[in-house]
Amino acid sequence: MDPRGGCTRVPGIGSDWEQVRALIAGDRAAFAQLFRQHNAAMVRVATGITGSRAVAEEVTQDAWVAVLKHIAGFEERSSLAGWIFTILVNRARSRARVEGRSVSFDAGGEDNSLAAAFDGRGHWKDTPALWEEITPDRIVAGRRMLDVVTAAIEALPPGQRAVMVLRGQQGLEAEEVCAILGINEGNMRVMLHRARLAVRAAIDRLER
Amino acid sequence: MLGLNCKQVVARSSALIDGELPFWEALQLRLHMAVCKGCTAFVHQMRVTRSLTLAAGQGSPDDDAALAAVLARLASEGRDAG
Ligand SMILES: [Zn+2]
Repeated sequence: MDPRGGCTRVPGIGSDWEQVRALIAGDRAAFAQLFRQHNAAMVRVATGITGSRAVAEEVTQDAWVAVLKHIAGFEERSSLAGWIFTILVNRARSRARVEGRSVSFDAGGEDNSLAAAFDGRGHWKDTPALWEEITPDRIVAGRRMLDVVTAAIEALPPGQRAVMVLRGQQGLEAEEVCAILGINEGNMRVMLHRARLAVRAAIDRLER
Repeated sequence: MLGLNCKQVVARSSALIDGELPFWEALQLRLHMAVCKGCTAFVHQMRVTRSLTLAAGQGSPDDDAALAAVLARLASEGRDAG
């Protein structure tokens, strides 16, 4: 048990606490809201780890059931989202292990995706495009751009994909993402950067 | 350029847009970008990429069916337990 016993509230997670209380009380609307907030992201992360969308959906469903069963034991050591994703990632990893799939969240070796873009002195060979066609209006108008982004994220290695979803889409704190994935902050930043480079390249291909 | 070259700017571009660079390093990047159209365009691309990533993560049409499945499972498990 946390010795603080739920007396002190860390600023910023007070709304978590209200959500948790509503969930403990069996508030369906509160659960539906939480579900819509995280479910798709959970499936995306779990798909990266298990390698299968169908398995990921099962694992995610199991994770939600576990969340509701154990919600009364939630402590304020993490945010509610951090706690949920910890449950999910642990389940996805053990499922992958059972299926003989080894998953590593390493940043991997050196990134060479832009190696050809620079000359010997590290200057641009060709100036990057201005992307003048990409405006908020156009993005709202067509789903295509967002589909390209989603497809690019789905093509990332599991670690980069998890970091991109947790940090870049769900807005979890850096320390929380590191704790969930068991990586250090330096690695996390490297993975986020590489993931963005890959997504950037996919958008750039569409723009040309 | 006395300071950073384009490759070094690119390597720090995520940290820059996330506001994670130390003040002096961020200043070096900005000085470089002030005279480099390529890096200015690239950093803009990274900002757009960050926004589009966030936008692509919003909601999913499959949520309602998945939610119904979880609720059904909880209801049946609740009955089994009781
Ligand atoms: Zn430059």
